[in-house]
Amino acid sequence: MINALRWLIFAIAALGMNFPILVTLATSFKSARELSTNPGLWVQAPTLDNYFAVFQVSDRLNIFLYLFNSITVAFIGTTLAVVLALPAAYAIARGKLGERTLLPFIVNLRAVPLIIFAIPLYMMFQWLALLDTRLGLGLILSIVNLPLALVILVNAIRDLPAELDEAALMDGASRAQILLSVIAPVCRPAIVTSLIFGFITAWNEFLFGLMLTTSKAVPITVGASFFFAASGGGVQWGVASAVMVVGALPPILLGLIMYRQISGSMTAGAVKG
Amino acid sequence: MGTISLRQAGKQYGAVEIIKDLDMEIADGEFVVIVGPSGCGKSTLLRMIAGLEQTTSGQILIDGRDMTAASPVERKLAMVFQSYALYPHMTVRQNMGFGLKLARLSAGKIKAKVDAAADRLKLTPLLDRYPKELSGGQRQRVAIGRAIVREPVGFLFDEPLSNLDAALRVDMRLEIAKLHRTLGATMIYVTHDQVEAMTLADRIVVLKDGRVMQHGSPHELYQNPANLFVAQFIGSPKMNVLPCQRNGDGMLDLSGEGIVDLALSSSAAPVHLGARPEHLSLVAPESGHCRGTVEAREYLGGTTSVFVRNPKLGLINVSAPAETQFGIGETIGVRIDNSRLSLFDNTGTAVRTLR
Repeated sequence: MINALRWLIFAIAALGMNFPILVTLATSFKSARELSTNPGLWVQAPTLDNYFAVFQVSDRLNIFLYLFNSITVAFIGTTLAVVLALPAAYAIARGKLGERTLLPFIVNLRAVPLIIFAIPLYMMFQWLALLDTRLGLGLILSIVNLPLALVILVNAIRDLPAELDEAALMDGASRAQILLSVIAPVCRPAIVTSLIFGFITAWNEFLFGLMLTTSKAVPITVGASFFFAASGGGVQWGVASAVMVVGALPPILLGLIMYRQISGSMTAGAVKG
Repeated sequence: MGTISLRQAGKQYGAVEIIKDLDMEIADGEFVVIVGPSGCGKSTLLRMIAGLEQTTSGQILIDGRDMTAASPVERKLAMVFQSYALYPHMTVRQNMGFGLKLARLSAGKIKAKVDAAADRLKLTPLLDRYPKELSGGQRQRVAIGRAIVREPVGFLFDEPLSNLDAALRVDMRLEIAKLHRTLGATMIYVTHDQVEAMTLADRIVVLKDGRVMQHGSPHELYQNPANLFVAQFIGSPKMNVLPCQRNGDGMLDLSGEGIVDLALSSSAAPVHLGARPEHLSLVAPESGHCRGTVEAREYLGGTTSVFVRNPKLGLINVSAPAETQFGIGETIGVRIDNSRLSLFDNTGTAVRTLR
């Protein structure tokens, strides 16, 4: 009885929290006609027309390009951030380099409203010919992702016993070899966590995508908005919902696949018992 | 070869001196145990020798060559850590072969060396396991294996047994002793456990506040401690220390509680009498050197520790035959074997008797 009640509460909470997602999903399968008559979650006559409309490539709209752009910039923005953060985190955690001032400063960058960077960046990018390029957007996203990756990795490395480094030193490893052959593999869960959070942040980024791209490097977040009123005359809710579902799928899939990598303790067996 | 010399070696952290102008000569093949209470600098000293800790003054020589500023790998020493420090993402084989791989040995040579070391340490069936799948004792053997594959000139052990349970500690102690006999390599072993020091060492170095209090064979330290600190640190149970002074006849007066007939040289002025529990015996109240009341009894199987309280001399631990029957609160005499006692002056330095 108690158990059933518990599950009921879980179900209500889950429904409440995921309501927007369910509405979007339902709307994406409704025809324009049904949308005007049936606002409920139940789809009377499911149709894939909205999805066909989304995947239709035209001069103005190209969902495949937007998805490709988003994947590329998120990849650059995530891997570059982690590649830069890992040695930095090692130097901070072990060498105590910049621990007092530099680390808090970098972390605080994350707290600054990103719009502050907008105008100077636009001008810089114009000068560097990085406007409307995937590389340009990827670079910015790596800066956005760097602080969080750094915090995650610094904490992960601090938790590792220093004797691990010392054992490798006795074995004749250089600092770079210790970082790559010992620290990085042992920190894999933290690295994967940084990659996932970075990817999600990069994927959802809208502001810089809107500002710094116009056509060639438009990411899915900005591209999706193009569909809302694609045929003129009011928002097409069905098509808008379908493009949102398509745009939300990659990070959800990534999260599910990578979750196994995050859990599980890698340091088990390193020290003591 | 594996001689290690420290010449006036020192370590300072800011204004704090951890190790003070330390001189030490370790011969090739010697098993030296550095022992002392926590915070005495023994681990720092070992890490200075390893090259993990910078030596701020003086020199460290290995096989006659100045290695004070050399990197750990150049010193050709191997270290076994207290926490084992195995690489958790590598199998036992990879853990043991890591140093050889870094030294760019061929895969075949690495395999041969790892197999030989694994065979010696009975690790062969575990070679493909990960550290988390091993017990504490097995992990410690892997850590030792990782040290021996590199064929170092010397081994450094930093409290390697303190994470193991008591029974396993005894087994591993024997295994380390056997390893030393078969390899014949120089070993420096740090511990706070004086039993490990006594059983393993060719020579014990007792450290306190960064200074050597005494060094010598276990027998020498036990029989002739150079000072009160060593006397009380080495030996289990601890040595009894009783206040005393020289009387007009050149004999020892136990604070008015009794006289120990001992001929002292004219200059000697001992104020502490040290007597190990096994050199004391329980007798009738009138025939002892002093008397007291039995306060507690600890049956240890082979012997019984009887704690006798004397108002002026304090609590005296006497190692009595196991079946000794004295009731708590009973008045009893304590007899001191005057051929086995140690005397110390007011600075804690040993005073030699005339014998």
